[in-house]
Amino acid sequence: MSDYVDELMHVTDAADPTTGDVTIQNYTINFGPQHPAAHGVLRLVMELDGEIIERIDPHVGLLHRGTEKLIEYKTYAQAIPYFDRLDYCSPMCMEHTFVLAIEKLLDIEVPIRAQYLRVFFAELTRISNHMLNLGSHVMDVGAMTPNLWLFEIREDCYNFLERASGARMHHNYMRPGGVHQDVPLKLLTDIADWLDTRLPRLFEDAISLVADNRIFKQRNVDIAVVSREDAIAWGFSGPMIRAAGIPWDLRKSQPYDVYDRMEFDIPVGTKGDCYDRFMVRVEEVRQSARIMKQCLRDMPEGPIASSDRKVVPPKRAEMKQSMEALIHHFKLYTEGYHVPAGEVYVATESPKGEFGVFLVSDGSNKPYRCKIRPTAFSHLQAMDFMSRGHMLADTTAILGAMDIVFGECDR
Amino acid sequence: MRAPAPAWAADLNGETIEAVRATLGTALIDAVDQVGEVALYVERDAIVTVLTALRDTPGLEYQQLMEIAGVDYPDRPERFEVVYCLLSLTRNHRLHVHVSTDDVKPVPSVTGIWPVAGWLEREVYDMYGVLFAGNADLRRILTDYGFRGHPQRKDFPLSGFVEMRYSEEAKRVVYQPVQLAQDFRNFDFQSPWEGAQYVLPGDEKGMVPEAKGAPTPLKADEIVKADAPSKPQAGSTTHEPKTTDSTAQTGAGEPDPGNQRQDKPRDSDVVPTKGGGQNQ
Amino acid sequence: MTLTSTPVELDRSAAATSLVPPDQGFFDSLNGELTDKGFLVTSTEDLFQWARTGSLWWMTFGLACCAVEMIHVNMPRYDLERFGAAPRASPRQSDVMIVAGTLCNKMAPALRKVYDQMSEPKYVISMGSCANGGGYYHFSYSVVRGCDRVVPVDIYVPGCPPTAEALLYGIMQLQRKIRRSGSIER
Repeated sequence: MSDYVDELMHVTDAADPTTGDVTIQNYTINFGPQHPAAHGVLRLVMELDGEIIERIDPHVGLLHRGTEKLIEYKTYAQAIPYFDRLDYCSPMCMEHTFVLAIEKLLDIEVPIRAQYLRVFFAELTRISNHMLNLGSHVMDVGAMTPNLWLFEIREDCYNFLERASGARMHHNYMRPGGVHQDVPLKLLTDIADWLDTRLPRLFEDAISLVADNRIFKQRNVDIAVVSREDAIAWGFSGPMIRAAGIPWDLRKSQPYDVYDRMEFDIPVGTKGDCYDRFMVRVEEVRQSARIMKQCLRDMPEGPIASSDRKVVPPKRAEMKQSMEALIHHFKLYTEGYHVPAGEVYVATESPKGEFGVFLVSDGSNKPYRCKIRPTAFSHLQAMDFMSRGHMLADTTAILGAMDIVFGECDR
Repeated sequence: MRAPAPAWAADLNGETIEAVRATLGTALIDAVDQVGEVALYVERDAIVTVLTALRDTPGLEYQQLMEIAGVDYPDRPERFEVVYCLLSLTRNHRLHVHVSTDDVKPVPSVTGIWPVAGWLEREVYDMYGVLFAGNADLRRILTDYGFRGHPQRKDFPLSGFVEMRYSEEAKRVVYQPVQLAQDFRNFDFQSPWEGAQYVLPGDEKGMVPEAKGAPTPLKADEIVKADAPSKPQAGSTTHEPKTTDSTAQTGAGEPDPGNQRQDKPRDSDVVPTKGGGQNQ
Repeated sequence: MTLTSTPVELDRSAAATSLVPPDQGFFDSLNGELTDKGFLVTSTEDLFQWARTGSLWWMTFGLACCAVEMIHVNMPRYDLERFGAAPRASPRQSDVMIVAGTLCNKMAPALRKVYDQMSEPKYVISMGSCANGGGYYHFSYSVVRGCDRVVPVDIYVPGCPPTAEALLYGIMQLQRKIRRSGSIER
């Protein structure tokens, strides 16, 4: 009888819901692995309370290609193109790290022009990477136009890189001991013109649309705030740690190649939210352009590869004339060079953060172990605590500001 | 260091090793400075206290754990090595800490010190099968759901054991044993005539690199370049210059008495002509 | 070293105007018929093919490096949308799937599921050496050696990665293929 009265008075028991009651429970939704805002093949298993994120379990490895295993079966020269394909938004910076690691084990000198060329093209790659990231971040939170303009810059970068290396995306341009080819003077003058005219015009136009835009700020300011302590404990690097307020840039603190001759500033965030990360990258593009101008100003003439004949293969013209060069050419392209035994961890400032290579050599012509330290791994792991308590729609902003590329994350 | 590698404060290596020896005590097995990088070899069970000490001791201050790498050495009794790469933001110094283990002895997890270690340990577990005691979430991370084996082990074949295709009968993606149309070409760079071992005098001079394709005996921290300033070698034997003053030195000896031109028998048929040609 | 040069000027001379667009004859005949009679008589076959080739909405299945080139082909410089091919995020709305990048074992079930969700008629373009046959990662333990082991492929675009032009050409090849084949059954 009392049940009947309860029913009449609309009193319900939470443990025993009847028709008409609304039971609220946590949703578990699957984001990806095929999702246009996932920047690749990310699968997020999200637990939601309404639209509030309670927990995120990122599933990675959907692009695990076994790069580290394949590298152990290839000679050092054959392994360099794998690095292009790791972070396919900034291929040249990936090569840079690997080449520096081999050089550290071999202990060979690199001519100064080659060092300038490497820094120059690494910075051009950084611009190209940030164009993709800034553009897609803006697009993820709902703006379309800046992306179209920023991709025009990216096309320009691709054209320049193609003229230097022969490939639009996977350049395979750097070599232990230098670079593969010298660049023609016209290319340098064209890039100089582009840095003065086209890049600032397109870039500043596009950024002026979003940097002070109210909607863009509403979507990004105070989203996923990371404190300094968290940034250190979670192994952040690159724009992520700088946005948290720590002026840490490997180009400045641990300079490699000719970065110690360059004059540039490190942008630092004040709050550590998504908007800071965005603006840090915006400023980095300007600083990269500054570094490139200094490279153009100071780059000397000279050789572009080391004179160590046991590592650097001879040029083809020389090979046609000299028997010795022919033998070296054949040996270096079949067997390759033998790298002395040792273990090094070399890390550089890739556009996404600290990209490291832990290279173990046993003295043979193939790496014994090549552990790649992806930047995205530690950043993506922090996704859980960064997005806790935010709305579902903020996920794309958080993910976009992290700048994750799965070729590198999953290897 | 001639290579343009990242220039962190490698000049602190010596004092770092001393400070580490003083701090860690018996937990430290060995500390070496190789190729300009400090590598510490420590006891497996003490890894948590070691890394806590490295993070918190003033003068060491390694705030960030950048990477945990696994390495497989199948010949060793404890075949796996787990390498923790640390970075000090304040001292601008790097360091790696090595721990050895095998596939049954667990390594204590360092997730309590650095939360970032969670995924890094998961990856080492996935790739090598190294167990981490105390990691609450030790699942596979990179390989497929339901993957068998640990792919980075040296005895795991490059192409694995299974491959994937869509089965029209089952209407889903299925695994089947791997079949390669063409095998992976792994060159050994041996000349075909090198197996025969015809030992000729003088071959011992060429014995230093044993064979083509063999590992170079050089170590990265022992390389001496040809144009590097070299110190004179002590105890080198002085060579005497070779002279040919006497016949004893040349080996020619005295001319034979019966071998002079005038002693040869004269041929009557051949009359030397005026020009001295042989046939006319 | 002096850095002087003039900006590169595009040469818009006679060579550009003499280019004949593909299928120009087809459109000319249509146009002539329309101006002549005021209406068009066509077979349903032709009508279907015209509709299919004119709105190839493609499924964004960016897996790896090739995805970047796939984005580039949509951006202003190559502007794929002038061929009626627009990116769609949902498989239910799309006609063609561009498999752009390395297909790994962990991703293969998802790829097949997305393919199954697409409505007929559906086409697949395999983009890049990894999707064509494993490519640089052919011998890896975790890579599907060609996405044609999982889904039927209509057009293969070679390259690592194929340039944006190459993908554009591949899409035009697919249009040609659709026009050539019957529409009622594939």
